[in-house]
Amino acid sequence: MSQSLRPYLQCVRSSLTAALAISNFASQISERHNVPEIESGASPELILNPLTVSRNDSESVLIEPSVNSVRVSIRIKQADEIEHILVHKLARFLTQRAESFFILRRKPVKGYDISFLITNFHTSSMYKNQLVEFVISFMEDVDKEISEMKLFLNARARFVAESFLTPFD
Amino acid sequence: MSQLNYRTINIDQLDPESSVNFPMETLLPANLPAPETSSDAANVASQVRQLLRGGDTEGALRAALDTAPLGGDDRAKEVHMATVTEVLQGIRQADMTRVLESVCGGDGGAERADCLMKYIYKGMSSSGPSGGGQSPRNTISPQSTGGFSQIQARNVGEGGGGQQMSVLLNWHEKLVEVAGTGCIVRVMTDRRTV
Amino acid sequence: MATPQAHHLFHAPIADHSFSADRRTVAVARDNNVELYQSSGSKFTLSDELKGHEKTVTSVDIAPGSGRIVTCSQDRNAYVWEKTPTGWKPTLVLLRINRAATFVRWSPSEQKFAVGSGARVIAVCYFEEENDWWISKHLKKPIRSTITTLAWHPNSVLLAAGSTDSHARVFSSFIKGTDARPEPSAWGERLPFNTICGEFLNDSAGWIQGVSFSPSGDALAFTGHDSSVTVVYPSAPEQPPRAMLNISTRLLPLNSLIWNGENEIIAAGHDCEPYRFQGDENGWRLTGSLESKAGAGAGAAREESALNMFRQMDLKGQTTVNTKLKTTHQNTINTIRPYEEANGQVKSFSTSGVDGRVVIWTL
Repeated sequence: MSQSLRPYLQCVRSSLTAALAISNFASQISERHNVPEIESGASPELILNPLTVSRNDSESVLIEPSVNSVRVSIRIKQADEIEHILVHKLARFLTQRAESFFILRRKPVKGYDISFLITNFHTSSMYKNQLVEFVISFMEDVDKEISEMKLFLNARARFVAESFLTPFD
Repeated sequence: MSQLNYRTINIDQLDPESSVNFPMETLLPANLPAPETSSDAANVASQVRQLLRGGDTEGALRAALDTAPLGGDDRAKEVHMATVTEVLQGIRQADMTRVLESVCGGDGGAERADCLMKYIYKGMSSSGPSGGGQSPRNTISPQSTGGFSQIQARNVGEGGGGQQMSVLLNWHEKLVEVAGTGCIVRVMTDRRTV
Repeated sequence: MATPQAHHLFHAPIADHSFSADRRTVAVARDNNVELYQSSGSKFTLSDELKGHEKTVTSVDIAPGSGRIVTCSQDRNAYVWEKTPTGWKPTLVLLRINRAATFVRWSPSEQKFAVGSGARVIAVCYFEEENDWWISKHLKKPIRSTITTLAWHPNSVLLAAGSTDSHARVFSSFIKGTDARPEPSAWGERLPFNTICGEFLNDSAGWIQGVSFSPSGDALAFTGHDSSVTVVYPSAPEQPPRAMLNISTRLLPLNSLIWNGENEIIAAGHDCEPYRFQGDENGWRLTGSLESKAGAGAGAAREESALNMFRQMDLKGQTTVNTKLKTTHQNTINTIRPYEEANGQVKSFSTSGVDGRVVIWTL
């Protein structure tokens, strides 16, 4: 793990642990409903101050806590055009399969590449520390995945170009 | 007929009894210090800088945190933010734990720890006081509705501000060790922002 | 200190639990029902189910004297259950609220109970003989958000309430004909219904999650979502409190608390273990956890990165990192209640939490 990545992930870990102190809470707007307050946003006192953790200008995590849900949004590093396309494609691939990831939000928050929505129902059925670990390992792996894909893409592009330009004999 | 589209009006907002209109000022304690102006903050800044120049990093941090303009306007808060950042950057990594232990201990130490945590998060949410222009932060509009467009302004580049963030991340780690997770929880609940 | 007795009842959150006076029965709120468990030997076995609520049951309380059970739920209703030869019979309470009921507790006199709700009211309920039903009177002002917790003063008139508007308040719930006129105390002398005897806010705000009066009733403690415990000593009616001591901790927020005598508080919450606070009017402090951890190395295990874990899984096909927490409870503790007490001194107490466990701790 690179030197500056470790404090970044450590910071995300402790911030998430603090934010995930959530409990079952019925809506005070519509009767007999129980909705994630961070998404409904209808009671300002139930939403806490958001936290931002950033490693640099292009990598950051936004944590928006509320009484019964936490929204975690990640901005993934995109060093060039290719990485931008890859991140976009990967995020799209994942969000289309959001139901198998339980906590994945179908649409990222504006300004971020991918968002998770963790509610009290998730923290009651799963270990809280494991949920945090999941987000952390996702952040670790996604960078690796993107650079791997980029290498693969470049290799393939080179191969295609070579075979395309090979003169017929 | 240039009429309002009544279907799009949020009627809850018009009802003073509705929870949408929760009076957020009731969450502020009565003992909030009087509002400060940016010139007050600038005065504090020069005092703190003097301490820093004199080598008293501990005293500088203590003074900066004790005079946080919790009730000030945005301008004053910005000026003070710059002061705190300067102090944090002026302390060597090896000294962090020692300084923190002394600043966050003793009388009012818990409040100072909470206050420092607020500044660390604030520092990370803004893209730096001096060089805000390294990345087109405000104009990025990635993939909101699907459909990738070539003409988007985008979040590209190695990312500036890494140096400053790395300082803040180091401080964050040390502060959590000294003051615990409770400190982060209080940054979220406290409505007295810095 | 003896090892805590843990009873793992099921894999679902327990919103609230309550033991009967003889401690042979425990009622736990599980999803839309309340389940009654009977102790047999060292185990608890399911003996009865109270079915009737249509949404998550949020709170349950057994009156120690009469054995009546009161439950409330997010479906806006509360029931009083009475044991008859044919089983438990529910009586609907006329709460007159239009949002979720969040918390219910019997008053020490057992003549009344209070129901907190998301409709920004507290319904104080009492039995009306003529019509043979439970009716309610509302405590309304100045509550601005959902009531999360309630606690009764020993005199059964004063009621403490915590709310998500970050205030802890003390109300009078005096009901003519039901209550005897209370002795004047530091909280107030004349106490008509809905008198506000105190309103408290922490500097760092945070939703109030738990409130409790000290055994004498002369001090109030509450925990907030800002990871702190606050103890208030009132001076005289209409006067600012004599002392308001805030102990901000380095822990995650605490959800529930009980007093043990006048100088000790036990609180538990998102850290999954109970903590002890000690002090008096001059100052309070956190003295430590009541859980004896199995050896050191807890910190080292946490440092293990996810990458290593997956590498382990990849190489060995199994994970060596134990996902189990070191604490007895494996998830957030929701409720803490005295289990055995005499003259305000708690000998043992019980906790229940999101992990479906009820744990009995001996002090």
